[in-house]
Amino acid sequence: MEYVSITYLHPPVFISQEEDLIRYTLRRLISVIPTLIGVTLVVFLFQRLIPGDPAIAMLGEHATEENVERIREQFGLNRPLFLDREALAEGDFVGFVDTQYLRYMSRLIVLDLGTSIHRRIPVAETLALRFPATVELALLAMLIATTIGLPVGILSAARRGSFIDGSTMIGSLVGVSIPIFWLGLMLIMLFGVTLNWLPVGGRLSTGIEVKEITHLLLVDSLITGNIPAFKDAFQHIIMPAIALATIPMAIIARMTRSSMLDVLQEDYIRTAHAKGLHERVVLYRHALKNAFLPVVTIIGLQLGALLAGAVLTETIFAWPGIGKWVYDGILARDYPIVQGGTLLIAIIFIFFSIIVDLSYALLDPRIHYD
Amino acid sequence: MAEATTDQVKVVDFAVREHRSLWGDAWRRLISNRTAQLGMFIVFFMVFSTTMAHFFWEYDPKIDSDYTLKLKPPNLTANEDVESVHIFGTDQLGRDIFRRVVHGGWNSIMVGFVAVGISLSIGGLLGLLAGFFEAVPISSTERYVFKGGVGLALGVLPAWIADQTVILVLFTLLGVLSAFADLNWSEKSWRVWLIIFLGAAFGAVPALMTSIYTALFTGFLGLLIGMILSRRLGGELLSNTTMRGMDIILAFPSYLLAIAIVVFLGPGLEKGMIAIGIVGIPVFARLVRSSVLSVIQKEYVLAANATGEGHGRVMFLHILPNILSPIIVQSTMALAGAILAAAALGYLGLGAQPPEPEWGSMLGDSYRFLTSGAWWAVIFPGVAIMLIVLGFNLLGDGLRDALDPKLKI
Repeated sequence: MEYVSITYLHPPVFISQEEDLIRYTLRRLISVIPTLIGVTLVVFLFQRLIPGDPAIAMLGEHATEENVERIREQFGLNRPLFLDREALAEGDFVGFVDTQYLRYMSRLIVLDLGTSIHRRIPVAETLALRFPATVELALLAMLIATTIGLPVGILSAARRGSFIDGSTMIGSLVGVSIPIFWLGLMLIMLFGVTLNWLPVGGRLSTGIEVKEITHLLLVDSLITGNIPAFKDAFQHIIMPAIALATIPMAIIARMTRSSMLDVLQEDYIRTAHAKGLHERVVLYRHALKNAFLPVVTIIGLQLGALLAGAVLTETIFAWPGIGKWVYDGILARDYPIVQGGTLLIAIIFIFFSIIVDLSYALLDPRIHYD
Repeated sequence: MAEATTDQVKVVDFAVREHRSLWGDAWRRLISNRTAQLGMFIVFFMVFSTTMAHFFWEYDPKIDSDYTLKLKPPNLTANEDVESVHIFGTDQLGRDIFRRVVHGGWNSIMVGFVAVGISLSIGGLLGLLAGFFEAVPISSTERYVFKGGVGLALGVLPAWIADQTVILVLFTLLGVLSAFADLNWSEKSWRVWLIIFLGAAFGAVPALMTSIYTALFTGFLGLLIGMILSRRLGGELLSNTTMRGMDIILAFPSYLLAIAIVVFLGPGLEKGMIAIGIVGIPVFARLVRSSVLSVIQKEYVLAANATGEGHGRVMFLHILPNILSPIIVQSTMALAGAILAAAALGYLGLGAQPPEPEWGSMLGDSYRFLTSGAWWAVIFPGVAIMLIVLGFNLLGDGLRDALDPKLKI
């Protein structure tokens, strides 16, 4: 389920004539706010319900009562979660709203995500450090998935019923059926252990330094001309990227194929053929442009899902991204990490679905020759 | 003109095409589809073997370990090193992997079915209601229930703050009352002000028992609730709230949400089922809602509504049977996804707890031994997961082609 494979999750949006693009975008952005508030509420609810006290988890079971109390005070864990009705009953209106959730929300307004309970590092700082790793992995995975999935889908639609088509369909079904963590393990076993070609975890070997500009190691090492570092970073990223690319690749191939098949039955394709246009022109100019919308949707949603952090892939390959970070945070009851990470993930996810919707309006499917 | 004899009628009968039902046709298309055949074969094979093993091949995971047989590679015949036959080898506790794979299938497949059952029943119902009432105005009885429910839901906050259960009851009554006003009078009348006033009073008066400050605050909340209830609320609100709720669930990455739910519930197979089921709810809600909206303007629905059939009958007897195709296809695909997710939870140690066999947790337990070359401990459970998931995906593909060739999922 590390992917969203289904088009009806995103029914096409039709923007009416009266409503222009900017107003539509604004409306969408505003409509996101309740969803985001809902997300923060859910995260807070979970943290109250998940058994275990973070202060004790942090100090160990033999901590003294005062120390636990001090930590709880320091992180505001002694306050009620949403609203303090006892304070209200005593006429203390400030105390009424001085709760964990509302403190968090007021800090959020000034973009303060709090401090990790265990590591004592500001969440925003770690987020800035970890997010580029996820972005790099997601972008490379998506690049692999699109460069293979798209042509394969087009080809199998153009040669419907052929051997290529059959093997694409079977291959793509196998692709969505492989447990991603198992594929990762197999890759590690083959390339990491048996052949010993590739490192089995991390982003960079120890001892290799890259001057960080964009924080994407592949890009940074290329810009600074640091070829050994580029090679090392590439060797680290390629296995997780392939594992992560499998599902999107299969989905993109299937989507491209079915969308192309739909379009290829249209009258204007027959007309184009009848005009004597070259098959390549018909395929790419006429068919692909019209078949592209659902494919763009899928690519956008998949990228959003990948950027939201691939928990399994990141765990298996010890990739220091946000998926694994939030996962560790959940297990360690490190509330600020879970809150900050989840919020970022949700924002990315929602943001991408808005972009996908907008792309419907922007991508004009009408053909024009240039 | 002579009357027709029985013989002639028979001749006429031959000319009429034999009656074929929609589902019969779909079934015929399904079994002649090669993808579906393969899928059905795999699914049948896996489900049958694990079910048989579960009921007829005794296995007690608690006593099944033999340290002398630790991590032995697969062997087809007994030899001097390994005296028993283990066609899939043994794991780190000397347990026969074949046996555990066959028994583990029961757990994995069970998770899939229960999880999809949860998502389908809850998500499907929500989607059905949301889609139906988005297009069809709610009836008077439904309005009483609906507004009462809104009053109840909104009353939770003041009731909790004031610590007075009676507030909950009062706001539910206010909801019902406002439905009465809704139905019988036009909007701009003194009754609107009455409802607003009653809201404030219902919030404030019982809260006086707690404290004057609480009463002030809950009175204000009651005023707001009264303002909401004094409006004409209908299916739009129901549909919007449901779908916004689904949006919130969808905003979380599914695996992360499932992990969080399992951590909250505590690890275990049943908890995993619930978690995966909850995560799958929005998918079904959206699918069913959009399917309902696609048939709601059809003549047979209009006719059923026009003849005054109850909304429940229209929903379950007229709409539901006509949107079954996408639901069946999606359920099959969701089964594949749920089994994958269950395996992932098991791999992370959050699903089935040892020594209970389950494919994902078998992988999670033994992947550390990959470096010492024990490939068999990892290959076989993984292949089993892949096969069953592939089987359901193939079947879903075939079902889609058979049920509705134009369907795109």
